[in-house]
Amino acid sequence: MSNLDHGKFTRVTTTFHSLLALDVFLLFFSGYAIMFNDELWWLMELMGGAAGVSAVHRVTGIALIALIFFWVVLQVISPTGRSNFREILPGKGDVDAFIQDVQFMLGRADERHPNARQFGGYKADEVPLLSYVGKGVVFIFSVELTLLAVSGLLIWSKTGLAALFQTKAAAAAFVTFHGLLGVIMLMGVMFHVFEHGMHPAFYPVETKAFIPRSLVPERHGDDDPETTGIERLTLSASWGKVSTVFGAMTVIGIVSVMIGSIFDEGYPVPRELAIGGGPSNLLLTVGINIGILVLGIGLVLSMYGNVLRLRWERQLEEQERTGGEGGDVGTADD
Amino acid sequence: MTDGELPEVSGYKRSHVVVSAVVGIAVALLSVWWAQGFNVFYESLYRVNPGTGAADGIGADWVAGNSIPALDFLIALIHAADVILGLFILVLVFLHWAAFRRLAGKMRQPGERSTDAVATDGGEPGGDER
Repeated sequence: MSNLDHGKFTRVTTTFHSLLALDVFLLFFSGYAIMFNDELWWLMELMGGAAGVSAVHRVTGIALIALIFFWVVLQVISPTGRSNFREILPGKGDVDAFIQDVQFMLGRADERHPNARQFGGYKADEVPLLSYVGKGVVFIFSVELTLLAVSGLLIWSKTGLAALFQTKAAAAAFVTFHGLLGVIMLMGVMFHVFEHGMHPAFYPVETKAFIPRSLVPERHGDDDPETTGIERLTLSASWGKVSTVFGAMTVIGIVSVMIGSIFDEGYPVPRELAIGGGPSNLLLTVGINIGILVLGIGLVLSMYGNVLRLRWERQLEEQERTGGEGGDVGTADD
Repeated sequence: MTDGELPEVSGYKRSHVVVSAVVGIAVALLSVWWAQGFNVFYESLYRVNPGTGAADGIGADWVAGNSIPALDFLIALIHAADVILGLFILVLVFLHWAAFRRLAGKMRQPGERSTDAVATDGGEPGGDER
């Protein structure tokens, strides 16, 4: 296969992505152990109770602000960053890509639009830096992370809460607002894990976000291909079962946190009196835990992506030492 | 062969990365220090609410109901956004799930023999493997 699919991002970007992922996962685990405490009480216990959880949330919160400002400043001061602004603007191609994806799903189109394609293969040249989903992710995450960081800072201290919100109910309402905001990202990240973990050509993880462009050959043999070449790849034997189970888990997780967010608002008092403030529903408890499991798998896949990068680097070093006689570079990471 | 050559990549300059990292960490620390220092300006607090009702008296507002009606609206708005975007994300999940299944169908199935071997004389590609 072509390696062009993998070589999209610089090392700074791939490192940033891994750090941001780790940080956001920890923020999710700590924050939703508080908001969905009825369902995720064990997660709070695991992180050392209420004190431990808020410590984790605060430390990762500071790290998030550092990461946000690092990225914004870098995009503004560096030519590479500035040249990327064009790449993230949505265009007509992205709308077309979404429509064509629907047609592809219904069997009315033979292939995915270049702006939707995760596997570019021989036609990787047609594929932009970010797919329409990628652009959406960048926009939604930017808005969400900004609002979450600002609202998080406003509820940082108790005296601040007292001064800013005057009443306990208003303070609780604002904390609830902060938690509800994050639900959009929580659901989006579950989808993100599914999207980049279960693509049949990349299963179990798309290495694009982990192996930097500088380590991936940019050219491939076939000069004038008619297809992406996906038909030449062999499907993993476990893909069918695993993608079905993981897809179901993703859907259950998203639906559950969505329903949970409606009930578990804790403001100003729960609408129906129940221990802990939410419906003590077994199905919802199982569902939200499945959602957290999806995120946990995402964290593991992110680490696995980095393991693949390390292995790939080691293999490249090995080949350099043996003078490039080691064989085809292009088959190692799939 | 050109296949194995690694590209020259003009990525981010080290100096830019360092400057951004320093600014990021500085802003993070400053913002937390700033948020830490949020203090109660007592004159602006509703400390005394004259009257004899349940929500009156010293410090009454802190235990009374929501004094910022805009928050009610914000919460309603976010509830709506959660549900609407949640449904849209579900659409995207199913869209990708279906697309992945179609793509998987185009791929070689596990255990299927390779057919792009060069044909032998008088044979056809992959013919020798059957």
